[in-house]
Amino acid sequence: MNTLATGFPVADALKPRGAARVGIGGPVGSGKTALLENLIPRFIARGTDLAVITNDIATKEDAERVQRSGLIAPERVLAVETGACPHSAIREDPTLNLQAADLLDLRYPGLELILIESGGDNLASSFSLDLVDHWLFVIDVAGGDDIPRKRGLGVLSCDLLVINKTDLAPHVRVDLQRMVREAHDVRQGRPVLLTNCATGEGIDAVVDHIAREVLFDR
Amino acid sequence: MNDPVEMLAAMQLGDSFFPSGSASFSWGLETLRADGHVDKAAAVGVFVAGQLEHRWATFDRPAVAAAWRAGADLDAVCAVDRLVDAATLAREAREGGRRIGAALLKVHAGMGTPGAETYRTRIAAGEAFGQMSAVHGLVGAATGLTEATTCALSAYGVAAGLVSAAVRMGLCGHLDGQRILQQQRVAIAGWLTEPCAPLHELQAYAPAAEIAMMRHETGSSRLFAS
Repeated sequence: MNTLATGFPVADALKPRGAARVGIGGPVGSGKTALLENLIPRFIARGTDLAVITNDIATKEDAERVQRSGLIAPERVLAVETGACPHSAIREDPTLNLQAADLLDLRYPGLELILIESGGDNLASSFSLDLVDHWLFVIDVAGGDDIPRKRGLGVLSCDLLVINKTDLAPHVRVDLQRMVREAHDVRQGRPVLLTNCATGEGIDAVVDHIAREVLFDR
Repeated sequence: MNDPVEMLAAMQLGDSFFPSGSASFSWGLETLRADGHVDKAAAVGVFVAGQLEHRWATFDRPAVAAAWRAGADLDAVCAVDRLVDAATLAREAREGGRRIGAALLKVHAGMGTPGAETYRTRIAAGEAFGQMSAVHGLVGAATGLTEATTCALSAYGVAAGLVSAAVRMGLCGHLDGQRILQQQRVAIAGWLTEPCAPLHELQAYAPAAEIAMMRHETGSSRLFAS
């Protein structure tokens, strides 16, 4: 199969089923990249063949941060530019993310999981189901305990809501218990998990969730 | 355009909502803005007009028209495609053309546009590159658009893509953006009524944009892929 000089695949007629694709979205600064950095070593430790796509807003900083982390081979991390429209690149027009994911599938036969980190966006962002099989939305305690009850599209429609930076609750006068209760209420029983990406607390539950819900037949 | 079906098809393919990945490309404008060469609406208008006159009319249009005329003769489309690729100097322009062409083809293949999936196979076999102007001609003909409509869509896509990028970068407001597009209509219509240059006369002269795209490869600002 030819990928031409750009490296991007142009035909997938003979492509195997390909890796599961999991999106990670959420507002700027909520901890999406930190979550990635916590997920990568855990998936590698459990033997999952993994690659990453980042959607940086203005630079390649997130991609380079993951590439330089030493957690994963740098060539397994691709960056997609979003033209200042991070929500479009994962929803209305996800074609360049699909190209990047197809390229990773092509480069790494046996690839099981591609984590696609969205550029930071607002509470209304969501992933196209043509792009991902499953998606996480990451919010953080410091962003305010009113976020869940604002019923943003991301909070409501993601497959897993992650509330990060739980350790900051007392410092930013957030009632974490109420925030979690309201998150469960607005999501009507769909999964909500708490993490502290600074210490790794709660990350194993996120890994277990993805392994159970997405890698179940792998 | 008297055929309402053709008109509706053109509206769908020309809509910025049509997924092609083109929103991620500024074709040098991001760097020209960063360097202070394009800093306001008037300059955006000059840049867009220049790109249309010195690149689209003399380079893209003959390629789109030749691919449209090739129709189902995919060997002829491949020849156009290879020529466009070889004649596109700046790496980000060349690779951007391939990426958008590939994205367009994948969407059209999914929509069942005749020839799209077959052409993807030709590219996969290394017989062509999938440059967007060749793909525009191919899918325009396959969708039942006339040559003039296909070329008009191509020109509008260039202009709208640049203006859209300019608006998102804050170089002009939404009204100025629409005025710039409005101002291009007469010029584009004029080119469309003139005979199309033959393929062997393919030429483009837009050095500022090309140099900007070359500099963009190593620039720190990466809102866009070009």
